[in-house]
Amino acid sequence: MPFLVRRVLYSLFLLAGVSILTFVLVDLAPGEFFDEMRLNPRISKETIAGLRSNYGLDLPLPLRYLRWLRSVAKGECGFSFSYNSPAAPIVWRRAQNTLLLTGTATLFAWLIAIPFGIWSAAKPGKWSDLFAGGTLSILLAIPELILGLLLLLLALRSGYFPVGGATSLNFPQLDFWSKSKDLARHLFLPCLCLTAGLFPLLLSHVRASMTVVLESPFIAAARAHGIPRRRLLLRHALPAAANPLISLFGLSLGALLSSSLVIEGLFGWPGLGQLFIEAILQRDFYLVVDAAVLATIFLIFGNLLADALLYTLDPRIRDD
Amino acid sequence: MLEACHLRKHYVQGRWYSRRQFHVTALDDVNLTIEPGSTLALVGESGAGKSTLGRCLSRLEEPDSGEIRIDGRNLWTLRPEELLAARRNIQLIFQDSAMAMNHRFSAAEIVEEPLLIQKSMSRTKRRKQALTLMEQVGISSQWAQRSALEFSGGERQRLAIARALTLKPRVLILDEALASLDFETQEQIAKLLLDLQASFSLAYFFITHDFRLAARMANRIAVMWKGRIVESGSVPAIFSEARHPSTRLLLAAAPDAQDDALARIPREH
Amino acid sequence: MVPRNKPYIAFALLAISHGLLLLAGFFAPYDPTSQDRELPFAPPTRVHFIDARHKLHLLPFVYRWRANTTDRGYHEDRQTVYPVRFFSQWHFFATDPPAKIFLMGSDAYGRDQFSRFLYGGRISLFAGLVATAISLILGMILGGAAGFYGRWLDELIMRAAEIFLTLPWLYLLFAVRAFLPLHIAPNGVFLLLISVLGAIGWARPARLIRGVVLSAKEREYVLAARGFGASDVYLLRRHLLPEAGSVILTQAAVLIPTYVLAEVVLSFFGLGVSEPAPSWGNLLANLRQYGVLESYWWIFLPALALVPVFLAYYGVFSYYGYYRGYYFAGDGRDGTRNSLSFMPPAKA
Repeated sequence: MPFLVRRVLYSLFLLAGVSILTFVLVDLAPGEFFDEMRLNPRISKETIAGLRSNYGLDLPLPLRYLRWLRSVAKGECGFSFSYNSPAAPIVWRRAQNTLLLTGTATLFAWLIAIPFGIWSAAKPGKWSDLFAGGTLSILLAIPELILGLLLLLLALRSGYFPVGGATSLNFPQLDFWSKSKDLARHLFLPCLCLTAGLFPLLLSHVRASMTVVLESPFIAAARAHGIPRRRLLLRHALPAAANPLISLFGLSLGALLSSSLVIEGLFGWPGLGQLFIEAILQRDFYLVVDAAVLATIFLIFGNLLADALLYTLDPRIRDD
Repeated sequence: MLEACHLRKHYVQGRWYSRRQFHVTALDDVNLTIEPGSTLALVGESGAGKSTLGRCLSRLEEPDSGEIRIDGRNLWTLRPEELLAARRNIQLIFQDSAMAMNHRFSAAEIVEEPLLIQKSMSRTKRRKQALTLMEQVGISSQWAQRSALEFSGGERQRLAIARALTLKPRVLILDEALASLDFETQEQIAKLLLDLQASFSLAYFFITHDFRLAARMANRIAVMWKGRIVESGSVPAIFSEARHPSTRLLLAAAPDAQDDALARIPREH
Repeated sequence: MVPRNKPYIAFALLAISHGLLLLAGFFAPYDPTSQDRELPFAPPTRVHFIDARHKLHLLPFVYRWRANTTDRGYHEDRQTVYPVRFFSQWHFFATDPPAKIFLMGSDAYGRDQFSRFLYGGRISLFAGLVATAISLILGMILGGAAGFYGRWLDELIMRAAEIFLTLPWLYLLFAVRAFLPLHIAPNGVFLLLISVLGAIGWARPARLIRGVVLSAKEREYVLAARGFGASDVYLLRRHLLPEAGSVILTQAAVLIPTYVLAEVVLSFFGLGVSEPAPSWGNLLANLRQYGVLESYWWIFLPALALVPVFLAYYGVFSYYGYYRGYYFAGDGRDGTRNSLSFMPPAKA
């Protein structure tokens, strides 16, 4: 399967490029974590210099990059100054939260978009279609930030949904069922926001794709054969419409991660995005780089997944 | 005046790193000469390499080897200033007139574009020149502001001819220029071409797959098959002494060609 | 859902909103930084026509807000009538001091939110427009060169574009933001921020323009022009780049709101325009304090007022860009094949 091998190699190249880019960008930042320490008269310059050389901050850029690579290989991914520990565990824990949030949101978005899209394409022109189209356009245009603020307002007024954090304070003491409920309650609002931002785009593309497929000759032929409607839609039309949708999935990942950045920051969801923002404000160098690279890894991995799916489902790709 | 010597060109299809590369020979040791004031027709089936030859002659594509000489000088070794001058002498007219004109331009802008590129005249003189040429090919100057797409196929080819004539060329290469026109329009444009040839002493290199048309318009015919010139000669000679199998095929496919050759398109004097 | 008619409403909305923002000095009654310490978090001023004595006034008037003694709210002082004056002192509307006309209420420092909204919109929109222009210009240069000259230059530029496009854009934005000083005070640094914003967004326009140039390059009229001796610059200028016109317009329609949103997000998290200069993000940043969000609903008004502007831009974009597949044209795996197969593919 040279196709997939090629994709993987290419992804590695992309990853290297992205890590270098991020490294260079963050390194050019004029501030540093130790700036505050320098202001403190009780900490001697030698201590600071010692700390700096300890973390390798006095090395030139390429060497620092290599050291970071080696640290990644060791599983530490650099050192976080503000948390005073290796960066990897911090980043990974936050990443899991982000995966939970984005995964759930994506799942729900697709689960809503596909049936609605099919139904909308199958019965065009009805009031439901037009109404859906109208709300969709509006939803699509409202920035997530504002949507999130609206939902936040709702949450505060109703008091039912907790804001901030993924779990309540007494989380460890709860039993499994209560734990899930607690997590779900915290997850609900950010997830709703993310889904609301994502599914209009998906719905419009599912609908468009299905419409095109439904107008194609082979569907007309199938209908002439007397194939019942539901089977026609699900077994004949949907697989044909799936190709562009799988690509859509891959391409929407970037926007998804960016949206989750904003939403995590807004709702206080302890994910990768929020860590990223904090680290920037703290000038915590390696955390910034790790968070960005990890986000990219998710993106690339998602795209590879989409590629693999396309490869297995669409024979045209295999002839490449 | 315009000679091609030992031209070779091949195309490669397929990715540069893949093993399945596909070589297509377009020109295989092609030699021909176009005399001033006369018409040489190039006939052959589709895919024989005729268009490639036309483009190489007008220096739009580069042959892999061989020479193209105009007035004895190699077309490919000219310096930029000389090339600019040389381009004035050879012009190409395309088959698809619609694609050969930018739809955003008006008819007058299209016809005057060569003058604009060659920077030879002031704006008013340019426009005047363009309008004169339009009249000469039979397009009324009141349509000067129309976009190219608003003309019919025949009218567009007239515009293309007018455009080609702006730089006062000595050779016109007509790459299947009449192929996409209906029969009546073909007659009209063919008549126009012959008139212009007489007025301006043009040489034509008439590429076509239509043997009958070639027979009626040309002095000499060259037959091309799979990138090679397999036969060439004056029109009567081709009919009487055709030797190559493909020539015979072409002749067989156009049984009235001989009669047509005798009833050539009348020229107005 | 595909709009069939020209988006007149959207254009009108855009014209109105941009007009309002451009002439902020005229439409805003107050200076955006002037504070009124006696009126923090005052609700929107109510405009009346009938006064306490049930007399009808032809022109609207307002009452003065006075702080309650019992809670932190306000009550109207119905003793004095302060008429709303139009076209006085270069302001569209204003009222006599000490009354204030707060159309959108006031914030923690007693600053008029409406004025801040207008002036802030100027800054946010300015950021969006300039950044978009930079992205498009860079995209034209790099995409045009890549499509026209092809081969290694094309490969190089497209691979670079791919790297820029692989990072989630907000992550890239924040990372680049990290590269500037934390607190942006003077205008110079703000301009630097915008330029950087625009510079990192070159990749998608470049890809799209490259696609257009690549497919147009082989057209016969380009060959014909070459046959007349046209130079590369001439071809690009007169034949190729004008083809990209609609792509560029579509890009602009989607990039402007994207960059405005970028500024809003940055400022919201404290990384953009800093106080006391107003910007839409700054205004929304007030809402980060959950107490404010809960108690003072009018602080939310700027957020709502933003929505029509974005809607209008999106309306324009979806009219021009939908079937050109903005999002996906040229975004196929190798930058050429259109991943949404039913859209007209960008030929390579």
